[in-house]
Amino acid sequence: MAATILRVENLTKVYNLGGNPLPVLKGISLEVAEGDFVAMMGPSGSGKSTLLNILGCLDRPTSGAYYLGTEDVAGMSDDQLSDVRCRYLGFIFQQYNLLPQYTVVENIEVPLIYQGVRINEATKSRCESLAGLVGLGTRMDHRPMQLSGGQQQRVAIARSLSNSPSLILADEPTGNLDSATSVEIMGLLRTLNAMGKTIVMVTHENDIAAWSKRILRMRDGLIESDTINDPIPIPEGLRLIDPELLTSIPGGI
Amino acid sequence: MLDPLTMGLGALLLVIIGAAVSTEKTRRSTVLALRSLWLHKLRSMLSMLGIIIGTTSVIVLMSIGEGSMRDALEDIKRLGATNIIVRSIKPPEDGQSNRRSFIAIYGLKYDDLSDFGTIPSVTRLVPMRIFPQEVRRGNSMHNSRVVATIADYAEINKLDLQSGRFLVDEDDFLMRNVCVLGSKAASTLFPLDDPIEKEVAIGQFVYVVIGVMKDRMPTGGAGGSQAAEDFNDDMYIPLQTARGRFGERIMIRSSGSRAVEKVDLHQITVTVSDIEYVRPTGVILEEMLSNPRKHPRKDWALTVPLDRLEQAENTKRRYSRDLGMYASISLLVGGIGIMNIMLATVTERTREIGIRRALGAKQRDIVTQFLIEAMVQTGIGGLVGVGIGIFLVFILPILGQTSWMIDLFGQPGPPPILHQESILWSLATSIGVGVIFGLYPAFRASRLDPIEALRHV
Repeated sequence: MAATILRVENLTKVYNLGGNPLPVLKGISLEVAEGDFVAMMGPSGSGKSTLLNILGCLDRPTSGAYYLGTEDVAGMSDDQLSDVRCRYLGFIFQQYNLLPQYTVVENIEVPLIYQGVRINEATKSRCESLAGLVGLGTRMDHRPMQLSGGQQQRVAIARSLSNSPSLILADEPTGNLDSATSVEIMGLLRTLNAMGKTIVMVTHENDIAAWSKRILRMRDGLIESDTINDPIPIPEGLRLIDPELLTSIPGGI
Repeated sequence: MLDPLTMGLGALLLVIIGAAVSTEKTRRSTVLALRSLWLHKLRSMLSMLGIIIGTTSVIVLMSIGEGSMRDALEDIKRLGATNIIVRSIKPPEDGQSNRRSFIAIYGLKYDDLSDFGTIPSVTRLVPMRIFPQEVRRGNSMHNSRVVATIADYAEINKLDLQSGRFLVDEDDFLMRNVCVLGSKAASTLFPLDDPIEKEVAIGQFVYVVIGVMKDRMPTGGAGGSQAAEDFNDDMYIPLQTARGRFGERIMIRSSGSRAVEKVDLHQITVTVSDIEYVRPTGVILEEMLSNPRKHPRKDWALTVPLDRLEQAENTKRRYSRDLGMYASISLLVGGIGIMNIMLATVTERTREIGIRRALGAKQRDIVTQFLIEAMVQTGIGGLVGVGIGIFLVFILPILGQTSWMIDLFGQPGPPPILHQESILWSLATSIGVGVIFGLYPAFRASRLDPIEALRHV
């Protein structure tokens, strides 16, 4: 059994709406092993986004414990959480969320910059390799506005890899994409998972969840079911990532 | 010349700029700020307008002030900073004596002159008698101010000759009947021909013209007891000659009335060897003149140009301070403009803030970023303003000479001189305005909830 990368115990989150407490998470306990690929599903309002925000250290639980690796993240200060985000986590959003003023490579560099890393030739070539990895080697100086949705999402994936994260969090990564592009993106995530990256993904589409190894279904702030899934194999001809490219990335992924 | 405060300010500016490019985060923010300024040129221009106008007016006004101040200082320096001017003044009639005296006897004596000569710090004494006389040549006549003096007069008054020579010691010694004419006197009496070696007459005495002075700006009577002097009507004759020809009594006729005065010397200009002896020598002179046996009434006045120099410098300081206050109002308005645009930017870029926070930016990173943007905006605004200001300082004197500008504003004053310290000051102030007015928007940006910000459309 692989090492546990995240563990939450009896996690609750209560929002206060105009004086009325609104419990969104009602006691979630969950463990994710290193190298897992988890899909969280559920109707809207089930709490899956809130859980993802807490797992992504963007939000703090009302009660309960959250261990990322061996560290208890639940009680950390805002600054410490920021540090955790830029060191150990990678984010992929439905809206891609690239910075429009930056080029592809500059976008990929952002998490490194907030780590306080000095941008030099080594980090630059790493970020360029990551752009190449997701198939944007020829568009490194483009701005997000000049790219298609699928390309933007691939930049976002490269960005989520730049800090060699322990955990990648994806919030409906294919929500804004057509089915063909979705397959491309999922193939990419699947490949990264095959390379050892742990991924937690929120989706409401069954055929997207089908790419994962484990499916969590949530309802009313609780985990309804937790099933092992046999993931779709990566279709032939969709190998976006050249294994040779992977090993050539300075610093690894 | 930069004073230590200004130098410190310059160093501070360098430190700020250094900090802005020292770490990757701040460098990125600076580049980003410059990029978005360039991207939204019109909007940036409008938001920076207050700052631009503020700094431009500081530079231009300070330079105009500097120009006119330099002009005033030059004027005072023409009187000589190492000089002390002692003048005879007519004391008010004392009502005690009912004896009607037609002869007013007052003023500096030849004794005073020799007394002054005993002060060791004194290097030069230039006595003069000044009285109005009609100077004639044939049928033409000029109301001149006759100045009877010695050769050194030209030096202390920094007079320039147009032709011929000034009085020399020998003229005085030999009581020669020679004279030097001011430019206006010369042109009235000799409208067509060269006055050199020609003769002019005062009363029954004839004087040979040996020199003509260049046209000279009148000294502005910059307050105090020193009256304005117009040198162009002057006629200079040797002191001893005047003594011989006019005697000690001088009759002044003017518009039907006449007055007779007996004044030995109207003015003595005392030059001391060094500027630091000016004040002590002034005290000694005052004590000498206060001797009641020699001057029972106060019929003299001391003018120390050095005092006026310092007065002028005080005025300048006050002027700069007032200007600074007006300019700060303009910069305040500019700062509010920046704050306004920054608040709008924060709303507009809420999502970007969310993304940055998600990717690991701390609150202080966001504060820094928006502060840098505000500082870049006001800094660039300041630079543009300084540029326009310098341009105006150089173009104004040229523009001022054009006829329509003269029609509009009259004759131009002294040309502005670029006030270098105000460049540093206004740049530093603009950046400071950026910090102060950027602080609140930046703080607001940093306090946004990352999740809310990410959800923002």
